[in-house]
Amino acid sequence: MKVIVRLSLLVCLLASPCIAGSACFDAPAAEPCSKNEDLQQLPYITGHYGGYLTIGQRAEPKTLNPVTESDSASREIIGRLNADLIEINRSTQKTEPALAKYWKISPDGRTFTLQLRKGVRFSDGHPFDADDVVFSFNLYMDETIDSPQRDLLIIDGKPMTVTKLDPYTVRFTLPHPYAAAERLFDGFPILPKHLLEKAYKDSTFAQAWSLNTPPSQIAGLGPFRLKQSVPGQQIVLERNPYYWKVDRGNRRLPYLDALIFLSVGSEDAQVMRFEAGETDVITRLNPENYSLLAREQSRAGSQLADLGPSLEFNFLVFNLNDVTDKHLDETAAKQSWFSDFQFRQAINAAVDREGIVRLVYGSRGTPLWGNVGPGNKYWVNQQIPHPRCSLDDARQLLKSAGFSWNKSGQLLDKSGRVVDFTIIASTSNAQRMKMAVLLQDDLSHLGMQVHVVPLEFRALIDRVFHTFDYDAAIMGLGGGDADPNPEMNVWMSNGTSHLWNLGEKQPATAWEREIDELMQQQMVTLDYTKRKRLYDRVQQLIAENLPFVFLATPNILAAADARVGNFQPAVLDPYALWNADELFIRSGGTQNAGVR
Amino acid sequence: MRVERDRFLRRNLWWIIPLVLLHLVIVLAGFVAPHDPTAQNREWPYAPPTRLHFVDNSGLHLRPFIYAWVAGGDANDDPDHDSRYREDRTHAYSLRAFIRGDAYSFLGLFETNLHLFGVDDPGKLLLFGTDEFGRDEFSRLLWGGQISIAAGLVAAAVTLVLGSIAGLVAGYFGGWIDETLMGTSELFLSLPWLYFLLGVRAFLPLHVSPARTFLLLVCVIGLIGWASPARILRGVVLSSRTRNYVAAARGFGASNFYILRRHVLPDTSSVLLTQAALLVPRYIAAEVALSFFGLGVNEPTPSWGNMLAALQQYSVLISYGWMLAPALALFITSVMYYLLADALHSRLESR
Amino acid sequence: MSYLFRRLSRAICLLIGVSILCFLFTEMAPGSFFDEMRLNPQVSPETIEHLRAQFGLDQPLAIRYVHWMKSLLRGDLGYSIAYNLPVAPLLWVRSRNTLLLTVTAMFLSWILSIPLGMWAAAQKGSPLDRLITIASSLAIATPEIVIAIALLALAIRWHLTPAGGMASVAFESLSATQKVSDFISHLLLPVLVLILCQSPILIRHIRASGLEVLNSSYIHAARGLGMSKTRLLFRHVLPAAANPAISLLGFSIAGLISGSLLVEVICGWPGLGPLLLEATLSRDLYVVMGGIMFSTVFMIGGNLIADVLLMAFDPRIRTGATHAS
Repeated sequence: MKVIVRLSLLVCLLASPCIAGSACFDAPAAEPCSKNEDLQQLPYITGHYGGYLTIGQRAEPKTLNPVTESDSASREIIGRLNADLIEINRSTQKTEPALAKYWKISPDGRTFTLQLRKGVRFSDGHPFDADDVVFSFNLYMDETIDSPQRDLLIIDGKPMTVTKLDPYTVRFTLPHPYAAAERLFDGFPILPKHLLEKAYKDSTFAQAWSLNTPPSQIAGLGPFRLKQSVPGQQIVLERNPYYWKVDRGNRRLPYLDALIFLSVGSEDAQVMRFEAGETDVITRLNPENYSLLAREQSRAGSQLADLGPSLEFNFLVFNLNDVTDKHLDETAAKQSWFSDFQFRQAINAAVDREGIVRLVYGSRGTPLWGNVGPGNKYWVNQQIPHPRCSLDDARQLLKSAGFSWNKSGQLLDKSGRVVDFTIIASTSNAQRMKMAVLLQDDLSHLGMQVHVVPLEFRALIDRVFHTFDYDAAIMGLGGGDADPNPEMNVWMSNGTSHLWNLGEKQPATAWEREIDELMQQQMVTLDYTKRKRLYDRVQQLIAENLPFVFLATPNILAAADARVGNFQPAVLDPYALWNADELFIRSGGTQNAGVR
Repeated sequence: MRVERDRFLRRNLWWIIPLVLLHLVIVLAGFVAPHDPTAQNREWPYAPPTRLHFVDNSGLHLRPFIYAWVAGGDANDDPDHDSRYREDRTHAYSLRAFIRGDAYSFLGLFETNLHLFGVDDPGKLLLFGTDEFGRDEFSRLLWGGQISIAAGLVAAAVTLVLGSIAGLVAGYFGGWIDETLMGTSELFLSLPWLYFLLGVRAFLPLHVSPARTFLLLVCVIGLIGWASPARILRGVVLSSRTRNYVAAARGFGASNFYILRRHVLPDTSSVLLTQAALLVPRYIAAEVALSFFGLGVNEPTPSWGNMLAALQQYSVLISYGWMLAPALALFITSVMYYLLADALHSRLESR
Repeated sequence: MSYLFRRLSRAICLLIGVSILCFLFTEMAPGSFFDEMRLNPQVSPETIEHLRAQFGLDQPLAIRYVHWMKSLLRGDLGYSIAYNLPVAPLLWVRSRNTLLLTVTAMFLSWILSIPLGMWAAAQKGSPLDRLITIASSLAIATPEIVIAIALLALAIRWHLTPAGGMASVAFESLSATQKVSDFISHLLLPVLVLILCQSPILIRHIRASGLEVLNSSYIHAARGLGMSKTRLLFRHVLPAAANPAISLLGFSIAGLISGSLLVEVICGWPGLGPLLLEATLSRDLYVVMGGIMFSTVFMIGGNLIADVLLMAFDPRIRTGATHAS
């Protein structure tokens, strides 16, 4: 007995939390600015040097290779290590010069001539020039590497071409004009030819810049460079001493000595670590955790930001695919209801969107009646009607469509069958699961027997994209960029994400044909006002014809410790870290595992 | 014998009565629960339990009454009080017995709407608060208990039957039978069941009725779990079969089956009972994991498994304490089953 | 010796069987790694098909299995699709972390459970016994996930331990003693959860079988002969009662790799569990195969140790084995 007591005391003594504060990061100081560097000045930014930020990531990053990455945790880190030619300022949602000082667009909109900054160096000191740009884009478009981003550079089946005009001028030629082509450049980091050329020639490029690569072999043009990588635990970035942006006082950014990314495993773990003072920033929160932190805020001292509606849209989609050769007779029978326009209208009228926003998003969300919500200030069509939830209207519509009710209140179709279908939703998204349950209840008031079937994410994708063995699904899309072009594949009838009717050879309806034409047109229209008019009409057609029943969109919520200066989250990914080069630690700048 | 039984009952009455009561209440869920478990009250998500009052301006009442929740903070802004709801003191609802409320099916036999207690419409008696859709947790707890306890019992029975047969046969006969069975059990223990379950889900039609889901769930859990009881039992049987009385019985010409039944089985009874007591609550909790991958009981049917799933969120665990009710219920049920197992065990031992 | 040889050949058969079934299961589960990209409107299905071909996912099952087997015999466990890294080093680092956790927990659980179980059996009906029984019942009745989250929430509220992970952010710059203390402070919470989950079951089994043995005639005889209770307990009762406990030891060892998945995920311990869980959900095939093979090896080892110990501990089995019918 005594032995056990003594042992446990010893363990407790040894386990007293260690003093983490006294550790300092010997990060490199910023290089002094010289005259022959073409630096970009951010005239509204000021701060002071020192300190480090810790960020918890809910999933583990998988790779540091910008060409092969496909998950958001990796992208979050890769974005801090690298820079693009043209960047989209997440606050204003407009493009800004980055590595390209300025550019000229030819009158037909097909040729971009970019002037690069002179005297810029990679994080290992090696100079940057047009060779690196050409090399990088060849990597992205290479057919053997199969980068997920390759398709962005292929317009209508033809790749764009990159040519070097002189060491600091590059020309891009597109196969045909493409609206907002300059937005494409954000998301294609420029890679160092001197480090990666060998791997490319040896065909080992896919394994280059993995999590086990020594930091000396990785270099980029971003505000930070890799210092240490411990897979499964943390990735430490230190200041890039050669970064090419300066602040108001002509001091080289970034202010922070280091950025540390911790793998914490889940969103709840992110919140727990934040509350414990172990992390300083949460890039995206769900509404319950946000309310939790808000309640603790008075005792804690942290900055919480509610940035308003995001660019995502959640919706209910009905299976209108052609299933004649798939032996899905039951589904085919149900499609007679789904393809009835008034049926979909009735469902649209019966959905309690206010309830969804209140119960699923804790009132931190916005109801949607179209695919573009108010968060997308440049493209939203304000004229789309927002009818309130009305069960009477829904019943009227069903009656005029030939449906009726039996004695127990169940809805019957024209041939007397009970209206009974399933809605599938992914278990990995708790919000959409909740929406499914709310919809089930709403539709039960109309007498419909609706079953909610939670499916694991990939099982859901398999049914929606391959087997077409489902009735209806609740899914979410969007959130990438504000511009309509990235979503072409959803609205074009031959698009690969045309969820309600994949693989149709011809547009099935007149309005789908009209949308096809409009989207093609807006893709090549360079003038914003003309494009907006075309896209407004697309939104109107979508909202009127209801291929999707739109539900709601969440607000973007982020949190940071009170000491973080210049914290300016935005509704576009990566929400809180897009201006990592401008963040600094306010006075009292030494880091400690502060208690919240 | 009568005296022994009476003494046994008297000593253990303190938990036997609650155990029986618990099962009775759960079997009569529709009657005891004041509300329909699937009815959503969207104005009251995560509402705290209704407070029962006995005193108001006109003095003490024997019959308790409640107020409805309404959105908005508490008047005195007490930071420990839930600031999202306050009581609407304009209308009081008295608690009444044998009240007519939501319709339900009594034991699957006939429809009725008589409830043991409740309040008049539109008041809602929310004894354990509400969940994220404003559904009465207390009613869901009772109805969910039907499914969860039944699932735990049946799955445990399936596992134990399979496992004890396998363990007995393997331990007793030894040789290649033992090796094959133990090899199979090792196979079962090491396979990635998650993949298998995902695959099963893929082959199932999308909508399986709750009854069939339940049956499938139970069989799957039971089938997967037979390996560990089998191994434990085998170990016990291995030592038991070499005891003197077994050799003696064999000397008398007893058949294997007789020896198994008469000598070996009682030796294993204590282990079996302990296993049973462990498996039932474990299988109830296994529901949570299965619901996670789409094989559990589907919404809106409640079960302790899918109610517990909400507790995985940190914010819910911290802020809405009443959501812990199914964990508490599971806990109490498990403890009582252990006590039962212990009591049976000591009864068998003393014989 | 022939026994060992038989066990080894059985182990190899088992490993082959597991690998075949595993492959079959992975084929049964719908979807593939690249499905997440499928949802992105900006990636074309052709790119996804090319990526699948790159990893050989478009080949028929039998061919993929043969390739995998061949490379396994060469010591190469394949590539992780997500990380683009070879599987073996990936698994090894994580397994090391898991073993650090589970071996410590197992060791401490057993040290705790044996005396508690024995005392409870010896003093059946006493307040101590009742306390132990009730406490272990309480612990068993609570689902593991609730214990883990509850302890984590408490630890954070009262700032007892770090909120997760294996090492502090500034680990590298700490002195040696600080490193040890930092490691222990991170280890404390997951080990505590594991002990709370594992010990009650052990205690119950040890107590149950201890009770059984205590009631048998030879123990009564020894007691009648005047042997002291403690000596009786530990020199005579424990070995006989150890039978089911040894099977449990085998389980403990068998579960060293796979048993701590939930705790690792919740407490953020960078072990094998979170890696395998994510690999399963994202269909990172070769990581899953490698992980399953690895835990099967452990399981086989654990069961082998348990059987050997059973024979060593309980002489009745050893002699009984020669009478096998």
